[in-house]
Amino acid sequence: MARYGMVIDLHKCVGCGACGIACKSENNVDQGMFWAHHLKRTTGVFPNVNYEYVPTLCNHCDNAACVKACPTKAMYKDDKGLTLHNPDKCIGCKSCMQACPYDVINFNSKEPHIFWRDTTTLIDKGTSSGQETAQKTGQKLPYYNPERATTYAGIRPKGVVEKCTLCDHRLAKDEQPYCAYSCPSGARIVGDFDDPASEVNKLIAQYGYKQLKPHAGTKPKVFYIRHF
Amino acid sequence: MEITRRRFLQASAATGLLVAGTTGFPALKALAQGENTSASVEGKWLSTVCQGCTTWCAMQAYVVEGRVTKVRGNPNSKASHGKVCPRAHLAIQQMYDPDRVKVPMKRTNPKKGRNEDPKFVPITWEEAIDTITDKMMELRNNNEPEKYVLMRGRYSGMADILYDATTKIFGSPNNISHSAICAEAEKFGPYYTEAYWDYRDYDLAETQYVLLWGADPVASNRQVPHAINMWGKVLDQATVVAIDPRLSASAAKAQEWMPVIPGEDGALAVAIAHVILSEGLWNKEFVGDFKDGANLFKKGEPVSEDMFEEKLTFGIVKWWNLELKDRTPEWAAERAGVPAEQIIRVARGFAKAAPRAISWLSPGASMQVRGAYTAMATHALNALVGSVENIGGTLRGSSVPTGKVPSYAAYQDDLSKKGTKLKKIDQRGTKEFPALKSGKTGGGVVTNRVADGMLDKNPYEIKMALAYWCNFPFSCSGAQRWEKALEQLPFLVHITTNPSEMAQYADIVLPAAFHAFEKWAFTKSKANKIAFASIQQRVVEPIWDVRIDETEITWMIAESLAKKGFPNLLDYFMNEVKDPESGKSPTTPMEFNMALLKQLTQNVWDPSKEKKGDTLNGWQDFVDKGVWNSVEPDYFKNWDKFGTETKKFEFYSETLKKALNGHAEKNKTNIDDVLQVTKYQARGELAFVPHYEEPFRWGEESEYPFIFFEHRSRLNREARSANTLWYQEFKDVDPGDEAWDDVAKINPVDGDKLGIKTGDKIRITSPTGSITCSAKLWEGVRPGTVGKCFGQGHWAYGKIAALDYGKRTPRGGNNNEILPADYERLSGSTARHGGVTRIKIEKV
Repeated sequence: MARYGMVIDLHKCVGCGACGIACKSENNVDQGMFWAHHLKRTTGVFPNVNYEYVPTLCNHCDNAACVKACPTKAMYKDDKGLTLHNPDKCIGCKSCMQACPYDVINFNSKEPHIFWRDTTTLIDKGTSSGQETAQKTGQKLPYYNPERATTYAGIRPKGVVEKCTLCDHRLAKDEQPYCAYSCPSGARIVGDFDDPASEVNKLIAQYGYKQLKPHAGTKPKVFYIRHF
Repeated sequence: MEITRRRFLQASAATGLLVAGTTGFPALKALAQGENTSASVEGKWLSTVCQGCTTWCAMQAYVVEGRVTKVRGNPNSKASHGKVCPRAHLAIQQMYDPDRVKVPMKRTNPKKGRNEDPKFVPITWEEAIDTITDKMMELRNNNEPEKYVLMRGRYSGMADILYDATTKIFGSPNNISHSAICAEAEKFGPYYTEAYWDYRDYDLAETQYVLLWGADPVASNRQVPHAINMWGKVLDQATVVAIDPRLSASAAKAQEWMPVIPGEDGALAVAIAHVILSEGLWNKEFVGDFKDGANLFKKGEPVSEDMFEEKLTFGIVKWWNLELKDRTPEWAAERAGVPAEQIIRVARGFAKAAPRAISWLSPGASMQVRGAYTAMATHALNALVGSVENIGGTLRGSSVPTGKVPSYAAYQDDLSKKGTKLKKIDQRGTKEFPALKSGKTGGGVVTNRVADGMLDKNPYEIKMALAYWCNFPFSCSGAQRWEKALEQLPFLVHITTNPSEMAQYADIVLPAAFHAFEKWAFTKSKANKIAFASIQQRVVEPIWDVRIDETEITWMIAESLAKKGFPNLLDYFMNEVKDPESGKSPTTPMEFNMALLKQLTQNVWDPSKEKKGDTLNGWQDFVDKGVWNSVEPDYFKNWDKFGTETKKFEFYSETLKKALNGHAEKNKTNIDDVLQVTKYQARGELAFVPHYEEPFRWGEESEYPFIFFEHRSRLNREARSANTLWYQEFKDVDPGDEAWDDVAKINPVDGDKLGIKTGDKIRITSPTGSITCSAKLWEGVRPGTVGKCFGQGHWAYGKIAALDYGKRTPRGGNNNEILPADYERLSGSTARHGGVTRIKIEKV
């Protein structure tokens, strides 16, 4: 048994967005969808102004509202404590999206990656099109990452939801999720909260932590330490 | 001022860890519709370089079945801690941009203009090169090779083969780089104080105080991943002060924000110096002290020079007497809009951290009409606290032992010798444009002046341009002049990845290999006390019919010129460029590229060559590792031999005096006259010390009530990434900005007065131009100022960057259409910062 989650050190985070972009690259996430994103807020009045940036992702809640809400058990908890999704069972009812307090589940309302199906060319025979570029690479998405498909649909089809898996396909190979791997500040630390010796447990013991909407009762496993 | 930090994350009342239930591990299979490729495909990490900004980070691309799927920092790179910033990821979408130019094209509509469809049609490479060399031969046959100009934007370490050698062998003096629209005014500061014409490195690991003069290290130039990686530690151990009109990414993290009125940075710099001297806080080891130990620097009182015994600096008392004695914090507060108490607090904190204190100047504080002296003043603060080449201070870099292109003098015929001696089209070195790079009148480029030179045919007409990796009608202020200049240019060749604004004026468009993944080249840079050379490799076969700009295309031109009776260029390439491993001369464009690359980097990869840094085991080892790291430079290396006229760090710049004298003499005038025509206020001795100059602004306040300033994006790949989805989707990672939009950030107080709300479409008008964009009411800018990021506002380039490419409708507006073409003339730089123009705002 394990309970994987993430610590995000807001003191180290500079709000650059590399996590969110790298996530899209790793997980073949379509335009308009975000498995990893951010909240930001500017408060105060000039010149006493405060800007905050909070990276967000699926909280892989212990008491996951999405799992409870799913009528087909498409959304489930795995043996690492991850909240995962089986698109084969998903009926696209969006109950999980309504139940999730964090707005981190995305719905495929249209054919995925239609940007790469577009046949428009700006200069006839001189510039390419989305479709032609995709065809040239032999993929539906030119930079399609096949590693994603080892544990989840490589590209999720129209009619189902999709969300962060904490890169379960990478964790299975003892690799960090790609957002954490790509964070230039080292602000994202992933580990097992059931292991008392884990780095994540040490960090929250040292610094204390905050969470997004803890009162929603979902027992989120993304812990924010220090401040932006 | 205290910044109140408020939290919107609520503290959790979690009561310990709970054991989660499990549902087992169902076997997932890829869905039919999502099924793309076998999940077992193994990829490979290949080394290359990101040139999204000028950090030039060594990175690696993950290549699966001939495609790039992701990127990461090169783990062998000490300078970047093996990291890359968000820009690197965007490179993937840049390469696979559906709007890439995929074949050579020629224009079939002879009329040129923004609203003229060039009616490009595909042609073969043979036809393209043949057309180009016909035009080149025509110039040579007419004895006017100088009427050819080479325009260079971003470049690799191979650049000189095209930029320098090809242009000069052909016979033109006009190799024009983009440097002066980048940051030359910044280099003016360290040069005319310590004779170092370059960017500095900074000892972040050891520093205790950082003054950021418009610099935004966690977001933009010049060491982004290094800064991001270190910033948590820096904030732990140091006080960071961001001096910036905008609550920048770095200001948002800083302990202090000094929201300076645009262009008033110089007032703060000299006031900080005043406090340090009047309170006796300067570093005695570096600067020296009064002979009897008593501090005679008292407000408003001149000091006798012979009372002070100076050590490693020159002119501290002259600086005090000429400038600093009256520059009190109260005086500066009036001008800069920053409280005197904050100036004093910062000055004391900075000095008390000495020498572990950094004054980090940037284009923001120097690329201003009167910014040269601000560059000097901000850099001179480092000397006051003795942090120059000191632990925790400002550093130079180690050298990277890459080679230079072989000498080409023997291949220049009489015509080319004559042509290359003519004056350049950018008017460098004329009375109004000293461009005093490295102490020499006309030593540097005045990039943005080229448009005027072309329009005015001054000193002569330009008939042909070969432009690569640049987009001057977008990236130069006063952009409209470039459009006019290119409209009337008889023949333009543009080597580009995208149908950019500049390409719209081209007669021939050549598709360029995308730097990060389709080229073979090298770059060198520095950060984290490490200088490094990196290999840029073709990690995937290009899917379009592209060529490498600096080498392959150059070779093809040389071959064609030889066939037409001018063999000199090809002879030079064949005789002087040889593969160091095989000893063979190149016979094809790619062989030429590889031979030159190996030749120029041989010292780096050849284990038999002595050097101070990594030992690589040959060429393939360099390709595999991707980076060569230098040793760390010694501290204090130039303390006894600064390359200035006095060999000291100069507060009173004899070096600048000599350079200005040289320039005045060449133009048969005096220094005061030079200062007058270069828009400076100083006269006499004041010209030789760092001093305050009032900001120069276009437009009267009565008509243009707001001061406009611009800034950079942490996602800008030098204005080449706006056509990617990820750029647009994540544009809101720039504080105050919005995804998929281009916003002018306006203080809510001003928004209320104007009846403008966030999201309203507005027109911004300066004395020289007008653009439309969205309004964003935001507290991160001062009332009376309007801040806007550079990078959006493309009216061409692609169907994401432009709102409607066919109709030439930009997404937002290009700042360079409202920024007037003005200059920091002493360095030749484009003055785009410092609130160079006032604007008015209307709701549309």
